Order: sequence, then structure tokens, then C-alpha cells
Amino acid sequence: MAVAQICEGVEISTLQESQSREGARFSSFQESALERLTDVVVQYVQSVGKTTQFYANMAGRVEGNALDVVQALEDLGAGLGFNGAHDVERCLADSGVVKDIVRYTGEAEEVPFVYSLPRFPFNRGKRRAPSFSEIGVEMADEHIPVWLPAFPETKMSKEVEETNVEKIEGEVKSKENGVSLPSMQQSLDVDRSKVQKSMDQEAVLEPAEEPEGNPFLAAPVWVSEKDVPRVFCPSEPTNEEVTIGHVPEKQTNKSHHIPPLEAHAPSGMINGESRLGGTEDGQRKDGAITERALLRFKIGTRKASMRLTIKQSVEDKGWFLEDGEKREKKVEREEKLETIDTDVK
Amino acid sequence: MNHGQQSGEAKHEDDAALTEFLASLMDYTPTIPDDLVEHYLAKSGFQCPDVRLIRLVAVATQKFVADVASDALQHCRARPAPVVKDKKQQKDKRLVLTMEDLSKALREVNNSSSLSSCF
Repeated sequence: MAVAQICEGVEISTLQESQSREGARFSSFQESALERLTDVVVQYVQSVGKTTQFYANMAGRVEGNALDVVQALEDLGAGLGFNGAHDVERCLADSGVVKDIVRYTGEAEEVPFVYSLPRFPFNRGKRRAPSFSEIGVEMADEHIPVWLPAFPETKMSKEVEETNVEKIEGEVKSKENGVSLPSMQQSLDVDRSKVQKSMDQEAVLEPAEEPEGNPFLAAPVWVSEKDVPRVFCPSEPTNEEVTIGHVPEKQTNKSHHIPPLEAHAPSGMINGESRLGGTEDGQRKDGAITERALLRFKIGTRKASMRLTIKQSVEDKGWFLEDGEKREKKVEREEKLETIDTDVK
Repeated sequence: MNHGQQSGEAKHEDDAALTEFLASLMDYTPTIPDDLVEHYLAKSGFQCPDVRLIRLVAVATQKFVADVASDALQHCRARPAPVVKDKKQQKDKRLVLTMEDLSKALREVNNSSSLSSCF
């Protein structure tokens, strides 16, 4: 804008000032030439100001005066020359530059700037925050005087509610502009009620928490219970000991394929394993339990378990200990158990 | 002694002339607005509350532009005119401020000015 104004001013000045004694004038201007001249003029003004401030500082002053300006103009016009430039002890007040300017103002026509400059907007003044007394709030704490500006928290709670309401209303309007559905309005109403409930809950919870002071003793946010889906407990718990040595890849591959051996497994096997199985399997998920239950039906597991028990019993015996009669009796018992198991199979 | 007194009186007269000229500037309205000149002066570091000094700079700048424009006009008129069949067109020679004429005018100022980097 300033550059455009300078261009306008320069254009007008060149139209007026370029009028020589013969009556010739510039009829038109190239835009690029005008812009370049504008830049030169801006640089000229800045150089005058810079030189003026330099001379003022040289004299030990902060603010420049008329003599500093004259000296700066003489510096910039030294190349073209002015009257009295040769005189070293010349007086600045009687400088040739000033005389040239005086002559120019007398000869040239006075052409004011055509456009009106808009006034820069001024600050209306900062709005002071209202004090406690202006709001009408009585502070319980005596150490806070009433004339101090109020805390922003007292205003924020109201503003948050207003903004939430405004947002919801804005959403309603935007949606109404499009397709207005009763379901959308109902959802918005639900949201409004939720927002209000949340605000109320916060308002209720806050005073309850404040007197306690200890966050660990504060009331939990969620008072209501969560609806957790019921866990499907399988009727056939599985054996943990059997699954320890098995490779998990086989289980994943055989998850959907029931091997024929498992399908034809006798019910006695299942019941037997159920006795041996622990309670921890029941707590696992349904899909994993069913998979493991099927995969664990393998021939020979009872033998392995029996083998483990036999080994343990042999170790417990200790052939190097006590009486041989007791040992013989124990061995007989074990033999009987083995015969029973074989009959069951 | 007399010479010193005369010089002192001359200086006093010169100062009075300058002050009168500055006062007369309040009646003269330069083409370049005061706010604009004040802005660029402040940008360069010279903050002056006196309006007369600002108008002095504005008038000096206006004179500078006029000198450059007049030099460019002379260069434009000095250029040989193209061959035109109609005599009417030959008389009505349009004078246009071109970049060529302006650069020639600024070159003279640049060569003569101590601040060669500006122009």
C-alpha cells in the first residue's frame, strides 16, 4: 500500500515537476520504471534518516535536529554539488542545499497527495479483568483482597458450558442444513444430556474430593459396573501336564481338523483326564480351551502319566532303604494297578 | 573583533532564515505524505517528533525525484525520433518515462553520490 502510494505520489510529482520551460511533460510512465523509482526514493529517505542519526550520535545526542538533517542532505547531494560546497567553514544554516530547497518550493506547484491516508487503528485500551467485588464473589480466604482481579477459573466453568452448548447448537444447525433426521437429533439430545451429566458429576465429585485432599483416597470416576460378557466355561476341562510338552504349531494347524483318533476316543479317557486336569484350564478362553481339549486326546497319554507316576514311585521307594518285605508288598500293589489299567483299555 | 561580531550576526541571521523556512513548511504541503516519510525515517533509526523536520525531508525527497525525472525527460527528448510518414504524428511525440531513460538519469546520480550502493 505504501509503495502504491509512493508510486501515485511520484507519478503526480513527475507529471508536475517534469514540466520544463519548453512545456514538455511526461504523458505516460512504464510501470517497471515507476517501481524502480519508488525503490530509489525509499532508499533515499532511509539514507537521509540514517545519516541524520549518525551525525546526531556523533555530537553526543540521541535526537537529531535541523542541522543534522541539513548535514545529511549535504552528504547525499555532495556529488551533484551545491552552492558553498567549497567552503569548509560554511554555516549549516546558510547551506546551499537549504537554499535550493527554498527555491524549489517557490517555483514548483504545490500538489498534495490525492488519496486520503487511513488512520492506523489504535488500541481501544486493554480491558481489565473484573475484580472480585465487581463480580460479586466473596472470597472465603482472608489473605485475598476483594479489589484484586478475579481468578479466570470462576469464568472458565461458565464459558466451557456456553461453548459446549454453542458447539452442539452449531452441529444441529449444520446437520439441519443437510439431511435432518430424527435419529440425529436424538443422538444430539443424548449427547447434550451426557455432557450435562458429566458436568454435574464433575461438580459433584469435585467437592467430594477436595476436602479429602489425598488423591489415593479419592472416589473413583466410574461408579457403575461394567457389563462384561459372560465367559463360556467348557464342560470338559483339559489337562495342563499334557500340554506342556506339545508343540503349539501342531495345535494351530489341527485347530479345525479333528484327527480320527480323537474322534474315536473313548469316554473313559475323557473322564480320566478330567480328574487329572487342573482348574486353571477352565479360566482360559473358549476357543483355546476347545482346541486344546481336542488336541490333548492322544493315545498314550495315560501311559505317559502312568509312567511318570511309576517312576516317581520307584524313586520314592529307595531300594537301599528299610525292609524288603514292605518293598515286596508295594510292588505287588503296583502290579495290580497295572493289570487293572490294562483291562480298562 | 568587528569581524567576529559580524560573523556572529550573520550566523544569527542564517539561523533565523532557517527557522523561518521551517515555519513556512507548515503551510506548504509536500506531495509525499508525512506519515510515509516518518515511517521510513523511523525504519532507518531516526525518530523525530518535530513535524517540520519531517516535512523538510519530504520536500528534499520531492526535489530529488523531480531532478531525476527532469534528467530522464531530457534523455527522452534527446533520443532521435523514429521516421514517421504523417507529420501530425511527428509533432505529437509522446514522452514516456522508460527504464532506459531512468537508468541513465540514476547512473549520473549514482556516480556522483557517495552512497553508490543505494542507487
